[in-house]
Amino acid sequence: MAPVNLSHRRTHNLLLISKLLSLRDTASPLTLVLDSLEQPATPLLKEYIRRAKLSKVHVTLIAFETLKQPEGVDAFVTTRRKSPADITKEVSAVYQHVANSNPSRRRLILIDSINPLLNSKRDDPGFHLPSFLSSFLAPTSPTAKVDTSLVVTYHQDVPEPPQQSPYASSPLSVLTYLATSIITLHSFSHILAQKAARDRSLAPPVFGLEEEQEGVLLGRLDKLSGTGAAEGIVIELEHRRKSGRGVLEWYLLPPASRYSPQHLKEIVTLLDDNILYNPPMERDPGAENEEPTSTFELGLTDKQRRDREGVVLPYFDAQSGDGPGEGGRILYDMGEEDDFDEEEDEI
Amino acid sequence: MPSQPPLPPLLAPYVSTLPDASLTLVSSILGATSNWLVLRFLHAALSSQSASTFGADDLQNGIKKKVVLVSFMRSYEFWKTEAKRLGLDLTRLAEKHQFAFIDGMSELFYAQSPAPTSSPGMGSSPRTTLPMRGPPGAVPGRAPQPTAPVGTMGNPAAKQEPGIAKKLHFSGRGLASLDAMEKDIALVIEQQKTQMEEGDELVLIIDQPDLLLATTGPSMGIGATEMSEWITGLQQLAHATIVTLATDTPLIHNASGLGGQLATPIETEHAAFAIGLAHRARSVMQLRTLETGAAKDVSGVLRISRGGGLGTGEDNLEEREALYFIQRDGGVTVFGRGES
Amino acid sequence: MSFRKRNIGLSPGVDRNAVPNTAQPAPEGTPGIRPSPDDGRPTTSTGTRSLDNLLAGHAGLPMGKLLFIEENGTTDFAGALLRYYAAEGVIQDQKIHVVGVPEQWGRTLPGLIGSAESLDEKRSDRRKDDRMKIAWRYERLGEFGAVAGSRDAPSTPGEQDSTAKEAPAFCHAFDLTKRLTHPSITNMSFIPLMPSKESPFAAILKRLQTAITSSPANTIHRIVVPSLLNPTMYPPGSCQPENVLQFLHALKALMSAHATRVTAMITFPLSLFPRSSGLVRWIELLSDGVIELCPFPHSADATATSGAATSQEEPPQGMLKTHRLPVLHERGGGSYQNVGQDWAFILSRRRFEIKPFSLPPAEGDTEAQDTAAAGGMPKKSDLEF
Repeated sequence: MAPVNLSHRRTHNLLLISKLLSLRDTASPLTLVLDSLEQPATPLLKEYIRRAKLSKVHVTLIAFETLKQPEGVDAFVTTRRKSPADITKEVSAVYQHVANSNPSRRRLILIDSINPLLNSKRDDPGFHLPSFLSSFLAPTSPTAKVDTSLVVTYHQDVPEPPQQSPYASSPLSVLTYLATSIITLHSFSHILAQKAARDRSLAPPVFGLEEEQEGVLLGRLDKLSGTGAAEGIVIELEHRRKSGRGVLEWYLLPPASRYSPQHLKEIVTLLDDNILYNPPMERDPGAENEEPTSTFELGLTDKQRRDREGVVLPYFDAQSGDGPGEGGRILYDMGEEDDFDEEEDEI
Repeated sequence: MPSQPPLPPLLAPYVSTLPDASLTLVSSILGATSNWLVLRFLHAALSSQSASTFGADDLQNGIKKKVVLVSFMRSYEFWKTEAKRLGLDLTRLAEKHQFAFIDGMSELFYAQSPAPTSSPGMGSSPRTTLPMRGPPGAVPGRAPQPTAPVGTMGNPAAKQEPGIAKKLHFSGRGLASLDAMEKDIALVIEQQKTQMEEGDELVLIIDQPDLLLATTGPSMGIGATEMSEWITGLQQLAHATIVTLATDTPLIHNASGLGGQLATPIETEHAAFAIGLAHRARSVMQLRTLETGAAKDVSGVLRISRGGGLGTGEDNLEEREALYFIQRDGGVTVFGRGES
Repeated sequence: MSFRKRNIGLSPGVDRNAVPNTAQPAPEGTPGIRPSPDDGRPTTSTGTRSLDNLLAGHAGLPMGKLLFIEENGTTDFAGALLRYYAAEGVIQDQKIHVVGVPEQWGRTLPGLIGSAESLDEKRSDRRKDDRMKIAWRYERLGEFGAVAGSRDAPSTPGEQDSTAKEAPAFCHAFDLTKRLTHPSITNMSFIPLMPSKESPFAAILKRLQTAITSSPANTIHRIVVPSLLNPTMYPPGSCQPENVLQFLHALKALMSAHATRVTAMITFPLSLFPRSSGLVRWIELLSDGVIELCPFPHSADATATSGAATSQEEPPQGMLKTHRLPVLHERGGGSYQNVGQDWAFILSRRRFEIKPFSLPPAEGDTEAQDTAAAGGMPKKSDLEF
């Protein structure tokens, strides 16, 4: 990988993630966060809330599984025993007074887990996932110009019940199709362990539910052997630009304890820039002292090398195909000191 | 090996520190059940009041804890007997309104209504058997129970049955039946709360609510979402909640469809319920048997992991894995691999 | 863990061992009931002595517990265990409730030979004669029945003597080729499966409940459920979880409400409902004890599948796995020495025997062993060069 390329990538992609996480320029109206028990979305959602607070964005949390209103959330909408239509109504209601006082604010709506909604047994013929999601993004009133970003978390490891219509596409494919950015989360220590295994051409290890071990739900342990102090979460971002072009990049979000909540500079780095993931080469490949040290001089001087190249090897001309040595035969003129014995061997 | 404290020191921080609004998930499998761990939660919450000899949770002394235990798979008899081994007298604690037992087993699906004519006979017959007993020397200290024999369950008098605050009934289908049970549990919790002082904490333990899901299922309008909502509703009433669940391979891994076979609804819903709860939990305590087969001095493996819950504030729960051993007298040792 | 800790390990002021005694008074003197040597809770015999001994040191099936026996393949070894269980109940004058099979089933119960002790004495006499000199630590493997006994050495010898001489026998031996004749055999009740709109199990449960609650309190009940969910007996909707699991849960509730008077045994065909399915796992979770029988494939050549240590012993007919044991696993489990061992079972005319399974020496290697034995070890001089 050429260094120029990398630095170019670094500049562009870091700007992109910064824009996405800070909700600037409505870069992504619908972000889908795919998480698992091995790397829950909690730290990322907290980071969203932190940045929203810094830039005075109004935060609404639609809670399918969160019990208490977390710090930094302006509006907390519980969903227990509510139909999707009720939820939509309530979400727009909580913003009404904010919209009236300050019509040009930005807004962030977080859904902590979409799975319960998708798995619900409630008979609700009117429920339609795309229109449910777009109802949050559509402007509530023509006068208020609100830039709304919706971040939806989907737990990948929660199984989906069979579709009611066997021909309909699955909710996950609908979500990934609709989303402008898809963020898949990985545990950094797992990524390191898998990379270490790949570097040795071993099968990459699996963790948690994928271990398929009876009684194991979570495999994540603080001190995963061989990864050292690998903290943070790995963000695999797939972003669709307005032009339709796609961007794929891997980032690393350090743990929240590493920086202050008021920290303004970008803290996300490229995964390829991480020392643990991409350790710097121990020796520069172009360096001089590449040869093994020994008491013998194994190298050649320039003159010696030139001389060596100038040597014409015996029977070199045999390869040209004409002349007596054609075909590489060995020609030998018997001298008188040779004691030729017919029975001994044939030439 | 010396006598073990009722609460192994290694376990103590995990069972006695339960932050507000936290969910603790305890998972078990067929060969490694969670009852002993539930008892440790009971002990951690209740023992500071009943006995002051255990030093493990001195920090908690300022706060009084109350426990409401909802059990779907075990009778009150079982919990009472096993708690007594740890020095907890549940009936006495229930009288002092520090503990309430909600029976989700004995009448959950079928009310036990014996023919009314039979009940007087039942009440008196245990005494008639007395002369048939063997020589008294064979079992010293065994006296006939002064309390009503267990056979009287379901009598009109069962309301006075000592220790059992409420018996749950399942009727109808779908959300309505869950709501009715929630109301029953909420009633008991409210009763407990009337006795509470400022700063007291109420711990709710729901033992194997997954049974409810398995025995009803989607065909009765109850799925993983409805069950988790039910848990959420109960969680809102308590300070901290502990839920136990089964995580046997067929119940968790069949649903992922890796085996190539189509998962049955019971498997899909159970997996969605269990994994969904793990996403909400503050900590997940997973019990399993040893991978290498049974050992003489190890009962199983306990892995404590952080769940996916969006907790308030930073929380330093240390993840770890340890072995445990249940002795014949009910005592438990918890130790790291390679230690003893 | 080499010594018993029965009398130590008490926390201050708490007598842990006394608890079960007071909590569950055993109906003393009731025939067929004896206190467990492990913790004194009342137990009854399954009618198979070696199965009794397998049950986590209680030397019998604790009252109020449900034993679930699964069987792979097309054989019916589990059925034999179930018949022993029912026959033992008949002999002990207990009330037997059989679910789902016609009354003919009751006529196939095996005939009584005598008490299991008497049969065992005969056998052990014979065994003493041809016992080989083997290392003492393997000795216990040979006679499995002694394992539980030796474990409870302080209490058992005297107790067993007294039960053998004064009290009636706890466990009996039966002959599968004979038919049981006993006055109380007519006392068995058969609960048929009725087709109904509701759960097919509702009526069964109702009858069991009425029978148990209306009987005198000293009556001991045995619930026998042969081949649960077998489609030739059970209506199609039975295998719906809301039917079968609710039934088992209610049965469990009924049994724990009458914890000193009821035991149950259920057999289950694994070839119809594999263990890897969630439904079966829930049935297992609802049971107190789970035992799986894995018969070896039929073979005309009896020795081909042999796991027998010597040619004198009968070859085992299958493997037996204990997935869960009553009381032990409920309390946390795993500390019993017999858990996790491989077991083999042998069903003969007169007994169902369970013993440790050991792989036989590789087939065809016997010659080599014989010559080695005849020639002895190579001499040291042969090896030196």
